[in-house]
Amino acid sequence: MDSRIATERKEQAGKQIGAAQGRKRTLALFYCQNTPESGEEQRQALEKRHASRLKLFPIPCSGRLDPLHLLKALEEFAEAAYVIACAEGACRYFEGNLRATKRVDMAAQTIAQIGLEKERVGIVANSRENPKPLAKLAEEILDRTSELRPSPVLERPRRGKGTKEKKHDHSRKKTH
Amino acid sequence: MITAERKPIDEIRAMIAPYERVLVLGCGSCVAECAAGGEKETGMLASTLRMAAKMEGKEVLIQEKTLDRQCVKDFVILLDDVMDQYDAVLSLGCGAGVQAVAEMFSEIPVLPALNTEFLGETREQGYWVENCLGCGDCMLHVFGGVCPLARCSKQLLNGPCGGSREGKCEINPEVPCAWQAIIDRLDRFGSLDRLEQIYPPKDWSRKQGGGPRKITREDQQR
Repeated sequence: MDSRIATERKEQAGKQIGAAQGRKRTLALFYCQNTPESGEEQRQALEKRHASRLKLFPIPCSGRLDPLHLLKALEEFAEAAYVIACAEGACRYFEGNLRATKRVDMAAQTIAQIGLEKERVGIVANSRENPKPLAKLAEEILDRTSELRPSPVLERPRRGKGTKEKKHDHSRKKTH
Repeated sequence: MITAERKPIDEIRAMIAPYERVLVLGCGSCVAECAAGGEKETGMLASTLRMAAKMEGKEVLIQEKTLDRQCVKDFVILLDDVMDQYDAVLSLGCGAGVQAVAEMFSEIPVLPALNTEFLGETREQGYWVENCLGCGDCMLHVFGGVCPLARCSKQLLNGPCGGSREGKCEINPEVPCAWQAIIDRLDRFGSLDRLEQIYPPKDWSRKQGGGPRKITREDQQR
């Protein structure tokens, strides 16, 4: 119980620090190419504007997304991984956005099982009536994820038991 | 095909905890079809385990690889060049795959990441159903192509029981009554008279009575 309270306090403190500093988290953003103003030039300009804080991945439809894409991003460089999909009923492939929602849910459940916040992954559906351009949606998601604490996955590993570099002696343990 | 489901992450982490160099090994056959142990699922599990290790501050080597089939030694032998790099193998194969790898590499622990479930059919995307027990003495021709042993909750060979309600089983209204399906199909074929025969209890000696089963085909052997 004490450790849970400590963890909650730590997370709260992390959020406060993040919000106070206005520090944007590194975001991997997968977006449906049907999103307005999401061409290659806009993508490059947006990445340049946000330097290393934003990495954009165009996909032909949000239904192309696989949970593995989100997990790999979180593992390798991103503190949050999000998807931009078309509004419900607006997917040109009919149900790509619905599938993407389920896959994001699956990725969220998976990271929750190892103690990562579910909010590190998410899906944002564009408006059907007034679809927002990619830049606007990216800003909104960056603002939303700025409340997250730094990713414990990307922190440098602590030195301790089992962290020494192992010599590859190629001897197999006889354990059974 | 053989169906399986991944074990809970906590259980898997506890299994691999003693090891520092782990190969997460997928299988591209049955367990890929049921989205439990194919290349994607293997990548997801390996990625999740690496993240969990990083969060604990552990420096462990967790790599992934997927064989076309783990239950065929011609494929398992492909691991021979890389196995020395690992302390343990976390297999996403079915029980047969895990044991085939373990038998070939007897000095390295091979741990199961999946719970092997049943012989099933992909009824629709993301939905698998059990419809064969592998009894060793198929009677599907008698029962209109519906197996009462696998699909009837009570495994009745002389059904139906009194618990069938509107085509559903009394144990759970979501379970279709196998005997309703048998009667419907035999009726369609005009073969309901087959059910006038009394079928004796199943001879289970062909399934488990003689110990582990094996099939030998000399014409297929080298």
